[in-house]
Amino acid sequence: MAIEELPLPTATTSRFRRRVWLTWAVLALLLAAGGHELHLDYAYMSQKLPFLLGLKLGSDGFIQGAALTLLVTAVSMLCALAVALITAVGRLSTNPAAFAIATFYASLFRGTPLLVQVLIIYLALPQIGIVLGALSSGIIALSLNYGAYLAETIRSGVMAVPAGQREAAMALALPRWIITWKVIAPQALRLIIPPAGALFISMLKDSSLVSVMGLWELNFLAQSYARTSYHYMEMLIAAALIYWALSIVFELIQYRLERRFGRGVAVVRAP
Amino acid sequence: MIPTSLTLSLRLAAAAILVLFAIREAGAGATLERVHRTGVLDDVLLDSYPPFGFINDNNELAGFDVDVARAFADRLGVKLKLQTPAWEAIVSGHWQGRWDICICSMSPTIERAQVLDFPAVYYESPAVLTVHRDERTIKTAADLSGKRVGVGLGSSYEKYMHRELVIPGAPPLVYPFHDAIVIPGDETINFRNLALGPGVRLDAIVSDLATARTVSASSRVLKVVGPVLYAEPNAVATEKGDPDWDRTVAGIFEALRRDGTLAKISQKWFGMDITANGH
Repeated sequence: MAIEELPLPTATTSRFRRRVWLTWAVLALLLAAGGHELHLDYAYMSQKLPFLLGLKLGSDGFIQGAALTLLVTAVSMLCALAVALITAVGRLSTNPAAFAIATFYASLFRGTPLLVQVLIIYLALPQIGIVLGALSSGIIALSLNYGAYLAETIRSGVMAVPAGQREAAMALALPRWIITWKVIAPQALRLIIPPAGALFISMLKDSSLVSVMGLWELNFLAQSYARTSYHYMEMLIAAALIYWALSIVFELIQYRLERRFGRGVAVVRAP
Repeated sequence: MIPTSLTLSLRLAAAAILVLFAIREAGAGATLERVHRTGVLDDVLLDSYPPFGFINDNNELAGFDVDVARAFADRLGVKLKLQTPAWEAIVSGHWQGRWDICICSMSPTIERAQVLDFPAVYYESPAVLTVHRDERTIKTAADLSGKRVGVGLGSSYEKYMHRELVIPGAPPLVYPFHDAIVIPGDETINFRNLALGPGVRLDAIVSDLATARTVSASSRVLKVVGPVLYAEPNAVATEKGDPDWDRTVAGIFEALRRDGTLAKISQKWFGMDITANGH
């Protein structure tokens, strides 16, 4: 069958999309109706919303709320990626020392709770003379923790590329970097992006753990307002909705990237 | 006779202890020097403990503790910088110069005194009993036997309910109840649970009067009952081991009390002077 004769992927047909949106709308409506039953104080929620979103700077001139959550997540993502790449290389290395260091690190940071890591970096390091600020402690903890998970994701992606691909490229006498970046990486990325996207969405929410150090990010402000004003449900739901909205943005970016790197093997749904 | 190797290790240990003391002594006066050099006082406090410390409608820290801290910093002639880390981070001590002072409604206990110094008691807060408005049986602390009582996790009220609270320099407390079921947890969530109804999740809560009054007023289903259980001193905390700084702090608080500054701040937030009995 020639490529032109293949049916269009159903996901792109308008009928399919219409029905997807309709189902989403119904589910969202049901959720909203359920939420309405809680008799929330909407006036209080809208009064606190600009602060939760971080539209205003704090009295110390620093960003707050969702803006700070995004900053912590974005910086941690980049650092985690760098840590993960190095660890994955160590994990795939034939050098026993590099392999040992990479596996030791990954095991340590995947095997202990993130909250404990945050607190140890923040509270224990000062005792050996390293006094880090709350923001840098949080970013370091998130980067090290997620770097360990991401390294495994990257490793599995690289290992899933059939050995024949590398052998064929070597048979063509392609230079090493071409093999790595033009043959292996694009095929590995297709497999890495979905789980990596899931990790970053998870990191976005785990960034709330840095609130224990007194960073005025989204979760911190929501909790603080809730305790002070006794509007507990209002603030928890407002924070949850903002986290969800941010996650949807992350999901869309992931979907775009997935499509970009999945062109070669686009899935065809049954009509 | 002690074997030589043991005497050697004893000597080494002694030397190590001496070195440690030398380092500690070097730390004396460091805080005041740092505060003057930077021109900034780093104060930590609670962000959700109204009316002592909370985030107000303008998204700024406000409350009794904030006003006291401001008065203290003014007297010292430096700028005030407020931070709100988790309570555990504050009470575990070992600040290593990260913060200078905690004007944060901390009650001095023997355990806390091992890692923190308490140079000045700046007010006393009455501990009271809060129940649901439909509660019939609990009228005083004596009625708490066999009841589920919510207390802040790690708070002095938790110690009180376990009959273990010792207030340094005060006569031993009287515990009129026995076998109460103590449920430690987040204080706000405790109040929420109590509001579900008498005995649904909790029968009563022991907390400070100001918090109980604020929460009861906003929830409308809770009420404060019975006489005051005990008056709890609330102190300023500093990192352990800087006697010069502690003397400075104590001196300034004495001055703030004598010239009526503390009383004025107390009147503003509580309509009464809770700072009078301090020592």
